[in-house]
Amino acid sequence: MIGFSSCKKDFLDIPSETNLTSATFFKTQADFEKAVNGAYAPLRTLYNNPAGNNSSAFFMGEMHSDNTYYVLNPNFRATIDQEQIADFIYDPASVIAANKYTTNYLVISRANQVLALIDGVDFDAAVKSNLKGQALFLRAFSYFELVQFFGKVPLHLTPVSSFAEAALPLSSVDSIFNQIIADASQAASLLPNKSVQQPGRATSGAAKTLLGNVYMVSKKYALAETVLKEIISSGQYSLISNYAAVFNPANKNNNESVFEVQYKEGNDGFASNFINPFLPQPISATEVAALFTANGVNPANVQALSVEGYNIPTPDLIAAYEAGDQRKDASIGYVTAGGKTYPFIKKYLHPHAQFGITNDNWPVYRYAEVLLLLAEALNEQGKSTETLTYLNQVRARAGLGNITSTGGLKDVIMNERRVELAFENKRWLDLVRTGTAVNIITAYGQRVKANPAAYYYPAGFAPVPASFTDIQLTFPLPASEALLNPYF
Amino acid sequence: MRMYLLMILLTTSLFLIARETRSQELDKVIISLNVKDATLKQVFNKIEKQTVFHFSYLTDDIRQVKTITYNKEKISLGTALGELLENTGLSYEQVEKNILIKKKGETIAIITDNTDNAAGTIRGKITDTEGKALNGATVLVKGTQIGTSTNEQGNFVLSNVPDGNITLLISAVGYTAREMAVAVSADRTASIDIKLTVETQGLGEVVVIAYGSATKRTTTGAVQTINAKELQDIPVPQITQKLQGRLAGVQINQVTGKPGQGMQVRIRGQASILAGSDPLYVVDGFPIVGNINNINPDEIETISVLKDAASTSLYGSRAANGVVLITTKMGKSGQTNIGVNAFYGVQQVPQKGRPEMMNGQEFAQFKKESFEDLGLPVPATFQNPAQYGEGYNWYDGMLQSAPIQNYSISINTSRDRFSTSAVASYFNQDGVLRNSDFRRFSIRLNSEYKVSDKIKAGFNAAPSHSIDNTPSSDGAFYASFIDPSAGGILNNSLLVWPILPYKNSDGSLPLTAFIPGVSAFATPNYYRALNEVTNETKTTRLLSNAYVEYTPIKGLSLKTTINADIGNSAFLNFKPSTASVTFVAPPPSPATSIRRNDHFYSWLNENLVTYRKSHGVHNFEVLGGFTTQKFRSEAEQLRLTDFPDDRIRTIQSAVNIDRTQSFSDIQEWSLTSFIARINYDYAGKYLFTAAIRRDGSSRFGADNRWGNFPSVSVGWLVSDENFMASINSVSLLKLRASYGVIGNNNIGNYTQYATVNTTTNAIFGSAIAPGASVVTLGNSDLGWETTKQLDIGLDLGLFKNRINVAYDFYTKKTTNLLYNVAVPQESGFTNFNGNIGELKFWGHEFTVSSKNLTGGFKWSTDFNISFSDNKVVKLSEGVDRLYGGFGAFQTITMVGQRIGQFWGLIHEGVYVDQGDFDKSPKATASQVGTAKYRDANGDGKITYGGDNDDRTFIGNPFPKFIYGITNTFSFKNFDLSIVGSGSHGNDVAIMTDQGATNLDGVFNVLRDVKDRWRSPSNPGKGRYGKTTSATFMERDWFSTRFVSKGNFFTIKNVTLGYEVPLKQNKYVRNVRVYGSVQQAYIFTNYRGVNPEVSTAANGTTGSTLNLGMDWGTYPVPRTVTFGVNVGL
Repeated sequence: MIGFSSCKKDFLDIPSETNLTSATFFKTQADFEKAVNGAYAPLRTLYNNPAGNNSSAFFMGEMHSDNTYYVLNPNFRATIDQEQIADFIYDPASVIAANKYTTNYLVISRANQVLALIDGVDFDAAVKSNLKGQALFLRAFSYFELVQFFGKVPLHLTPVSSFAEAALPLSSVDSIFNQIIADASQAASLLPNKSVQQPGRATSGAAKTLLGNVYMVSKKYALAETVLKEIISSGQYSLISNYAAVFNPANKNNNESVFEVQYKEGNDGFASNFINPFLPQPISATEVAALFTANGVNPANVQALSVEGYNIPTPDLIAAYEAGDQRKDASIGYVTAGGKTYPFIKKYLHPHAQFGITNDNWPVYRYAEVLLLLAEALNEQGKSTETLTYLNQVRARAGLGNITSTGGLKDVIMNERRVELAFENKRWLDLVRTGTAVNIITAYGQRVKANPAAYYYPAGFAPVPASFTDIQLTFPLPASEALLNPYF
Repeated sequence: MRMYLLMILLTTSLFLIARETRSQELDKVIISLNVKDATLKQVFNKIEKQTVFHFSYLTDDIRQVKTITYNKEKISLGTALGELLENTGLSYEQVEKNILIKKKGETIAIITDNTDNAAGTIRGKITDTEGKALNGATVLVKGTQIGTSTNEQGNFVLSNVPDGNITLLISAVGYTAREMAVAVSADRTASIDIKLTVETQGLGEVVVIAYGSATKRTTTGAVQTINAKELQDIPVPQITQKLQGRLAGVQINQVTGKPGQGMQVRIRGQASILAGSDPLYVVDGFPIVGNINNINPDEIETISVLKDAASTSLYGSRAANGVVLITTKMGKSGQTNIGVNAFYGVQQVPQKGRPEMMNGQEFAQFKKESFEDLGLPVPATFQNPAQYGEGYNWYDGMLQSAPIQNYSISINTSRDRFSTSAVASYFNQDGVLRNSDFRRFSIRLNSEYKVSDKIKAGFNAAPSHSIDNTPSSDGAFYASFIDPSAGGILNNSLLVWPILPYKNSDGSLPLTAFIPGVSAFATPNYYRALNEVTNETKTTRLLSNAYVEYTPIKGLSLKTTINADIGNSAFLNFKPSTASVTFVAPPPSPATSIRRNDHFYSWLNENLVTYRKSHGVHNFEVLGGFTTQKFRSEAEQLRLTDFPDDRIRTIQSAVNIDRTQSFSDIQEWSLTSFIARINYDYAGKYLFTAAIRRDGSSRFGADNRWGNFPSVSVGWLVSDENFMASINSVSLLKLRASYGVIGNNNIGNYTQYATVNTTTNAIFGSAIAPGASVVTLGNSDLGWETTKQLDIGLDLGLFKNRINVAYDFYTKKTTNLLYNVAVPQESGFTNFNGNIGELKFWGHEFTVSSKNLTGGFKWSTDFNISFSDNKVVKLSEGVDRLYGGFGAFQTITMVGQRIGQFWGLIHEGVYVDQGDFDKSPKATASQVGTAKYRDANGDGKITYGGDNDDRTFIGNPFPKFIYGITNTFSFKNFDLSIVGSGSHGNDVAIMTDQGATNLDGVFNVLRDVKDRWRSPSNPGKGRYGKTTSATFMERDWFSTRFVSKGNFFTIKNVTLGYEVPLKQNKYVRNVRVYGSVQQAYIFTNYRGVNPEVSTAANGTTGSTLNLGMDWGTYPVPRTVTFGVNVGL
């Protein structure tokens, strides 16, 4: 019996059978394809995180503006983070801001893994260009989010492999922008056109739209004009005649779609659920069912919702629509919750089989925005006439008449963006980009405080005194990260 | 290993039988004696030098005699002995040339038998008091390796005994042994027949140690051994539960009352941030994986707890949390014994400790006032509170009184070369929470066969099957949001409005418990969930081992053992459409189910060589060995949803499979080790042990795979020194010290590797695209956590060991702390598994055992108390704190402070009026009438969150000291024992207050919430603020308002037994009946349910970073049982 088992080295080498290890991965084309796919996955959480009720995209892009507010639920108060975002109270401990920050870095780290190793493995050059382009696009996109919402952030361009590499000092906003421009430009040249790319993946057009957006934020209007016009001349995109149809999951990745976050209905964890958090709450199962039925939506197992309603359109936004704008009814509906009627976002209400499990994608870039960005770039350069061409394309689809006057076009374009891109998380960054954020939000805050009932407060409740008192253009870096990064 | 057990020493009376006496001859022998302050032994030595006589005596008999001063010339030996023994309680008796010193009135005799004895031979027979021969009793010449054991007739022959005065050590398992001084020479050899009595007073002298056993007298480590027999009347399913209050330095808390579960054992305050703090359990030499819930306590013979590094270092990289050695019953020498034990009892939750919630009327009044304070119309429901009266007490509705029963039969036999012990048991405990129970069927068969005088083989097998049905009772009311398989039913039951029924008057059960349009939350009927949800685990386990031991020459033993532990468990959770345990998800909702199967095996091969040798006063024992262990588990889980019919629970009937909670998991580790130990003693007086284990583990990084764990210990039996001989009151004084290095390898099996998760899939259009991502950082230098421990101890026996005292001081330093250091997530990772940081622990342990009364009425007391403390010396570079707990309810582990301290605000009442409000620091949302907190950081405002807010240390979950006391009484046929255990100085955070003091009016609340702030003229008692606004600060900000002192003293068990007097018959040997009360009474000011609590928010047992948090747990019942033990 003695010596029953020998003490061979391999007896003590037991790698996991349920997970691969990095030593055996990144060896083949298939590995890199999977790694690129893996880099897309966090985007789903960024835009839809029903579990934590902290999908940072809509909270920070839309509810953190004058477009939407929340319906305070006096009976459920574990919602301070969510409310503070809408009330312009900046808490470094906000889990919502932290979610934005960490999720973007998750995409970046996965892209970095690909970019660091892909050139060392030999496989089909066209596939490699496509994969590299996607990784570069995702990295540029994520840094663009970070720099706009947080300002200076650490610039990780290679994968972290040790404890010492985990924290980096903050990089200047300029250097981050330079990196984004470099990555997006390279992505635009490496990626194929939409017509030959698998639907949903980043394309040359998506990279160019991102680049155009970056140039707009950097106020490099001529460069923006050039790159945005390339998209138009590519012939890959067109406006869909019916505005509401743009958002219908039946038309995912349609001709107007430049880049959208992909979801899939079902129990396998890829589904979205935008509509439920966007309903005023508490709302009874009967009221939900009534709303759904009226809209031809009949999911099984409809339940009451009792947390708090978010992203509820403000009276300000509702007033921003011109008479006859078809987008208003397509975007905003009305619902009875707890016996009281509220507006709600109808854009994302579509048929689904199971309550809370929807098929809707989230639009990130649409061709309509390309047109509006181009119009803005042209207008900023004083090319008013040309501006109108693109602006009116968007208006025409909405059933509105052409604008002919070139006076005050800047404001006209901004309002057009507000209603065309309502509930697509564009409003706050537009206000920052155009330098109007502090004035507009301060005035808006005064309106909310003056008439809480108009902003859905129940009787006896009002915004907390600190709300809207100190409007800041970026969010504080998350406290959880500040704790761990010695350079902050 | 069994051979060592035979060396167990017990104390009892000893009989020597004389053939004839000729005491008159002593009067003819004339001696001269001049001694001053001499011991009796010294006196006897002097007499022996002058005469042909030699003295024989029991060592303990003469040790108690005071020193003697005696000066007589030319006196007869008879006279001298008469004078010397006067007032000593001793008498003498001459047997040829032996003088036997014995207690007066005792029957002692020696049969001299020179006929066929070769020089240096002692022979004899060892029997029990009834004259039955004892097989396998050991006779040893003290200080030598000369020894033998008795045959089936109880006879022994000791040969090659050196001439002169020697001390014989006679012992047998389960019997008491004594030392007997005898003289040996060619003309004086003797046959000695000895009767040993069964020891009833405990196996205090036996110490089972790592890879062997030793006597308590000669151990140098901090080890405490308990004979399971002492614990047999305690009506609980787990052995650790029986140990509460018995062991110094071992904190055993029942953190939840779930049947068959919930014991948390911490040896010497051990805490590790990440690597687990549970001790290593070793069953019959086999370090087992996982819990010991499936082991039937009736199968256990002894439990040893190894506390210091010297005792544990032979378990190397797994020893840092201490080691619990469990030895199961073996066949005993002598006749065949059959034992039948049975008990039946009833469990109930005492009224004390049940949460005092508002009744129906009080709640309706509370709601009515809330609406009035808001200035809103009062809904009809609350307009007339008096109509509700008591309403429905949901918490009480969840509870029931429940039976507990246990039946066990054991057979012990030892015939010819074969000995065997078999135990079969059935345990059945219904829970005091409805629809919960624990059942266990178990069998153990331990056998040993002597192939020849040199070869011995053994085979043990212990199959068991347990069925554990536990509702998702524990955890926060939102536990199921944290963990879908959790529930928090008990916490939820507190919060349901008491004006709503859990059962209708016609006996039917409502689906929900809310009033649409009035209630805030759509609430399921938890009573229904409790009764209808299945949450059952069936576990089958086979623990077995086989060994061969070969003794080629005297003193040398070679032993090979193979152990195997094979287990299977099947978990089934089924939630019908009519039930929900989630607080905002009322039924009906489609039935869902989780099915999980776990299979595991663990095998261990051990090869040990032991060699024992004595040379004069030098005694050596050397141990060397090589061991290999491997573990593998495979688990599959399926979560199924949308069953069309609640009655059909099969996989194929489910409409969907929830892929996010369906998975396979494989875990594997291996360990290869070398061990060595040397014991040396000089004349049994100076003791030295050195040991080392070298572990190679698959868990450690490839560059740091092997670790060495050495230890040394020394002991000095001061009481054996000559200068102590005159101090008769001291029967034992031993000083000991040990130092060693031990490890903790509980770091997960693959932590060293950077893993690639292959489920980070993407969606493109409607297609799933397989994705893969690096999700953890690897660390090829990852190693075990190292603990260096110093122990200094003292053992003192006074007044013939009537009082025994043990004291230990220890200090431990844990370095290379294993934890997943949080890294900034800008890296794409959340943490890095490293060996960083340092913790320090220290403590004092006292044990006192006293035989207060030893006459007809016997009373003995065992008391232990241990003080312990810890400090965080260092964390990772640049990090001074770690947060734990859940959500905003955090603990902090900060450099320079203790581990896991509660971290929150200091509650200072409410802002009573505008004046108070104006002059006090405030939070953003503060108003007159809301909670007021202390501005701890002095910045003039109240903030919560981040690193520079107003939170501070508000509680310590570690007790300053823990203690236990056991009193045992016996009189005639009655015996009574009372066991108590207590804890002092720790705090508990009552997290259930988050819901139960929610001022929004959405839940039922504690009765004392009625005294809240309503207006400056009606400010309440200052504990609760107003209901109308900003209530979140009071509810979601952790503060001193949640913290309660955790001091308690619990009378764990009271047992009264009666030995039924039986006429001598050949069918029944003995019958004992007893009544027992478990968890008899808790003395505590803790206002929650169970002061021993410690859970995480999801209801699982709390980790080191959330100790002492009470998120709502299964109550621990008081159990009254009646039992009977029958010996056949």
